[in-house]
Amino acid sequence: MSNSSVNILDIKNIEVRYDNVILALHDVSLKVPKGKVVALLGANGAGKSTTLKAVSTMLASERGKVTKGSINYDGTAIEKQNPSQMVGLGMVQVLEGRRCFGHLTVEENIISGAYSRKLSKGDINQELEKIYAYFIRLKERRKSQAAFTSGGEQQMIAVARAMMAKPKMLLLDEPTMGLAPQLVAEIFNIVKELNTKEGVSILLAEQNTNVALKNSDYGYIIETGRVMLDGSAQSLLNDDKVKELYLGISKKGRKNFRDVLKEESLKKKNN
Amino acid sequence: MVDELLFFMEVLVGGLLAGTMYSLVALGFVLIFKASATFNFSQGAMVFFSVLAFCGFMQDFNIPFVLAFILAALLMVVVGLCTERLVLRPLMNASEDTVLMATIGLGYVLEGLAQAAWGVEVRRLDLGIGDFPVPWIADNLKLFISALDITAGLVAALMIIGLFLLFKYTKIGLGLRAVADDAGAASSIGIPLKHIMLLVWSAAGVVALVAGCMWGARAGVQFALVDLALKALPVLIIGGFSSIPGAIIGGLIIGATEKVLEVYIGPYFGGAIEGWAPYVLAIFFLLYRPEGLFGEKIIRRV
Repeated sequence: MSNSSVNILDIKNIEVRYDNVILALHDVSLKVPKGKVVALLGANGAGKSTTLKAVSTMLASERGKVTKGSINYDGTAIEKQNPSQMVGLGMVQVLEGRRCFGHLTVEENIISGAYSRKLSKGDINQELEKIYAYFIRLKERRKSQAAFTSGGEQQMIAVARAMMAKPKMLLLDEPTMGLAPQLVAEIFNIVKELNTKEGVSILLAEQNTNVALKNSDYGYIIETGRVMLDGSAQSLLNDDKVKELYLGISKKGRKNFRDVLKEESLKKKNN
Repeated sequence: MVDELLFFMEVLVGGLLAGTMYSLVALGFVLIFKASATFNFSQGAMVFFSVLAFCGFMQDFNIPFVLAFILAALLMVVVGLCTERLVLRPLMNASEDTVLMATIGLGYVLEGLAQAAWGVEVRRLDLGIGDFPVPWIADNLKLFISALDITAGLVAALMIIGLFLLFKYTKIGLGLRAVADDAGAASSIGIPLKHIMLLVWSAAGVVALVAGCMWGARAGVQFALVDLALKALPVLIIGGFSSIPGAIIGGLIIGATEKVLEVYIGPYFGGAIEGWAPYVLAIFFLLYRPEGLFGEKIIRRV
């Protein structure tokens, strides 16, 4: 099984249905090599979240089901696992929209991530300090109620909380949603750091194609539940189709919507 | 004048203490509401079931008081275990309404089981605490306050302190608060929902047993306890469904208001307004403060 030692996650041709009827994924295959960052890109409703939930087995709680294909994580077929078993195996998902425990303090939120591990009070404090070294901002706000922290801080809480479970693999679902560019960069820096220093493999769902690819090793682009394109992050960044459709750069020199409008108004004048 | 004031104090204190009896019942609802976001309609049946079993152990098997209480508490843990396994786990991903309906069914099952096992006649429960004024207080403060009421107050205070410590400082308490906030996120970081459910239902069962003992000692252990538990509804509306201090304060408010209203305003309505006055109060709360006094407000950033 040399294959499973190279790829920590191997998804083969999965099909996912919700409520036994709604077909969310048609045919998705992807691999995450150990210790790498893989980006899963696509528009709203393309199936990014569904793919991640299929992996973390969170699908069941939304009445979804993998109806075809197989998912293998670190040598385990995940079909019969539940989310808390997956966390035990070292796979943690950071859900879309942060989902912090609003009434708990920042520190309680982070500690709750260690629930699956049997740690003494001293061990927990030690782990906390380790986590705070990555998320310096959170240490200052440790006593605040999580609901009253900023969006960026909540995203950091969610990632820090997941890291407390000591994962081998993180699934990040749109970690930069609704954040200012500076914060997006900050979050990605932390993610990159966790990847290199802690050796955590990462599967990342993002709409922010440009930033995601710049911080990943490999990328998959999915549309309406199918993988349309995949390749190394560099090759995707240079791909014409990707540039046109996802990065807003085309050969015609249109860089943004304003340019498109300008072109159209020029056409009208000429007519 | 002094006599009038003393009389008012007596009514008020009596009402407050009687209110803690409602609080005890309401506590059980709050525990389950926190974890399942469901109003547990079987809470009344749990009160009846637990205290009837307690009486049964003592009176039919001649088991000593303390041992019988421990056995009844253990029985409620078993009930919690069975509820988690047979009712909640199969409904894990079902909507909250479905779980609500299931609790109604569970209530009928518990009522039936209790009566099948221990019979239908009214039993007397003697806690060794009389439901009559404490002489010392009557002599020194000139207030007539029932010993049972005072006991209920103390027990309620102990329970709230115990539950507070459990939730604030233990690992499973942290897990419960996490589940109460966002069950999906809690399960995504590996908090096993089934353990939390088991804890909450067992704790609610033990709380039901304590509440049942208090009510049983006052009114006899009988089927009417099931409906009595519904008195907790206005308590919860006023205190907030998800707040343990709210259950206590709500109970106090209901207890005090209904007694004071009964004594001072009741005669104009031909008496017996105790029965409906709490619900009128609850309606006002629903109109002007639907989350209750201590209910967790939905926090939304703007």
